[in-house]
Amino acid sequence: MAIVGIGQLPFAKDIGRPISDTAVEAIQLALEDAGLEAEDVDGMCMFEMESTHEVTIARRLGVRNLRWWDKTSYGGGASCATIMHAAAAIAAGLATTVVCHRARNRGAKTARPWAQERGVVRDDKALHVPWGLVRPVDVIGLWAHRHMHLYGTRREHFGNVAIAARKHANRNPAAMMHGRPLDMETYLSARVVSYPLHLYDCCLETDGALACIVTSVERARDLRQKPVLVHSVAQASGPNPVHLANYNTPEMRMTSYYCARELWARSELRQKDIDCAQIYDAFTPLVVMGLEDYGFCARGEGGPFTEGGRIELGGDLPVLTSGGSLSEAYVHGFNLVLEAVRQIRGTSTAQVPNCKAVLVTGASGVATSAMIVRGD
Amino acid sequence: MSAKEKDRFLDEPEFELHPDYPLPDVDDPVMRPFWEGARQGKLLLQRDRRDGSVHWPPKPPYWKGGVLEWFEASGRGRIYSYVVAHEPFLPAFRHLLPLVLVLVELEEGPRLVGYMVGVKPEDVSFGMPVEVVFRRLTDRVVLPVWRPARGGSS
Repeated sequence: MAIVGIGQLPFAKDIGRPISDTAVEAIQLALEDAGLEAEDVDGMCMFEMESTHEVTIARRLGVRNLRWWDKTSYGGGASCATIMHAAAAIAAGLATTVVCHRARNRGAKTARPWAQERGVVRDDKALHVPWGLVRPVDVIGLWAHRHMHLYGTRREHFGNVAIAARKHANRNPAAMMHGRPLDMETYLSARVVSYPLHLYDCCLETDGALACIVTSVERARDLRQKPVLVHSVAQASGPNPVHLANYNTPEMRMTSYYCARELWARSELRQKDIDCAQIYDAFTPLVVMGLEDYGFCARGEGGPFTEGGRIELGGDLPVLTSGGSLSEAYVHGFNLVLEAVRQIRGTSTAQVPNCKAVLVTGASGVATSAMIVRGD
Repeated sequence: MSAKEKDRFLDEPEFELHPDYPLPDVDDPVMRPFWEGARQGKLLLQRDRRDGSVHWPPKPPYWKGGVLEWFEASGRGRIYSYVVAHEPFLPAFRHLLPLVLVLVELEEGPRLVGYMVGVKPEDVSFGMPVEVVFRRLTDRVVLPVWRPARGGSS
C-alpha cells in the first residue's frame, strides 16, 4: 500500500473551530495533494479519543458511500495503526481509498485529559489515578528516572533530544516553536514539572488537523505525487498490559520493545537502512528509550546515542525532523506520519539527503503501533 | 483494633477529602477484594494456587477456572522508581505537593504505584525499603500508601 496525499491545517493554540470542521478541511487538502476527489474515498480511519463521527465528516466532505471505517484507540499509540488498518482493509478488498486523519483541540489548559479526572475512576484508571499518578509526565517520569538510575542516563541526554527537535523546528515554518531557539543552558534551568523531568522534556499542547490518503501501490503510481510505500506495520500491547501505568511487564519493558519486534519481523529493511526516525516524543526520554527498543543501540545506550549531533540533521540518525511533538505540534504523533511522507518525497524542511526509508513510531507506554515507509 | 493494627492507618483526624477527588470504584468485581482488604489495613494480592506465582494487576475470580486466590502480602518492598510531582496538578492532590509518586517493587514481586508519606523528597532514594500504611479517604475507600520502613528492612 502507499500514502499518496497529505494535508494539514496551520497548528494553533486555539484553532477556533471544532474538529468536525478542521478534519474535513485537512482531508480536502490531502485529497488535493493526491489529485483525488472526495468521491474516490470509500474508507476512513481515525483516532478514538475525542471522537467525531465518520458519517459527519464523510457527508461534509462529499463522500459517496463509506464502505469501511475504523476507530483506533490509545491516543498516541494509534498514529501508525491508522495506516496499518487502512492498508489491511485495502489488501482485503474492503476499500480502495482510505482517509486516515487526526484532528484534535487540546491547546487549552482545560482540554488536557488528565485535568478532567474526578469522580469515580474505573478499570485500569483505578490502578493509578487514585494515588494522583494521573499526568502522563509522572507516568513516563517513573520510566525515565529508573533509566537514569540503571544506566547513568543524564538530563543532558534528554536535552539533546529537546534541542535536536527544536533545531529542526526552526527550519520548519509550520512548527509552533519556529523562531524560538533552545540551548542546553535554557533546557537545564527550566522549571521542574515532575522531577527528574522539566519543562522542555514535555511536548507542546496544540490544536491541529492532519490527514493522509492510503491506496494501493498500483493506483498510487498513476497519481500526482511520488508514492510513499508502507513497507512494514505493527501494533503491540505487550504482555500483562495496563493502560498508562504499565509497569508489570517482564524486566519492565515498554510496549515499544514488543512493537519493534513485530515491526522488524515483517520488514526486509534493517536499522542500518533507516535514514531518519520519527520516534514518538510526548516526552524526551521516550526518544532515548525508543532508540533502544527499536534496536538502534543496546538497552541503556540510548543516552550516549544522542551525543555529538548524532540525532540531528547531518548526523547518523536524525530524529523528529519536523520538530516532533516537542517543537512542531502535539497531535498524538500524526505529524510524525506526515513528516515521514515528506522525507520520502524529498520535501521536508530538514530534508535528509537521498532519504529512502523512515521509521515512525507511536506512543510507548500505552498499547502502540509503528511503521516503516520507503520510496518506490 | 489492637495498637499494632491501628498503626497501619495514618492518624489524620482532620483529613478532608477534596470534592473532586478521583476515587476508585471499590465495587468492581475484579478489584473488590483488594479494596476490602485495604479497609481492614491489609494489602492483598493474588497468587496461583498451583505454583504460587503472584499476579498483578488482579484478574477475575473465574480466571482459568478459578486457580487464583487472594492472600495478605507482607506490605514491604523497595522503591523501584520515583518522581517528585510539582504544579500544575489536580486540585484534589495539591495540598500534597511536592508529591513523591513511587513505583514500589513488593517482596512478592509485583510493582505497585503509590505515593510516599512521612518523608521529604530529598530523602527518597532508589532501593529504599518502604512499608505500606493506609489512608482513609471515605468510609469505603482506604488507600494503601507508603512510608520508609520502620525497624527491620525488607
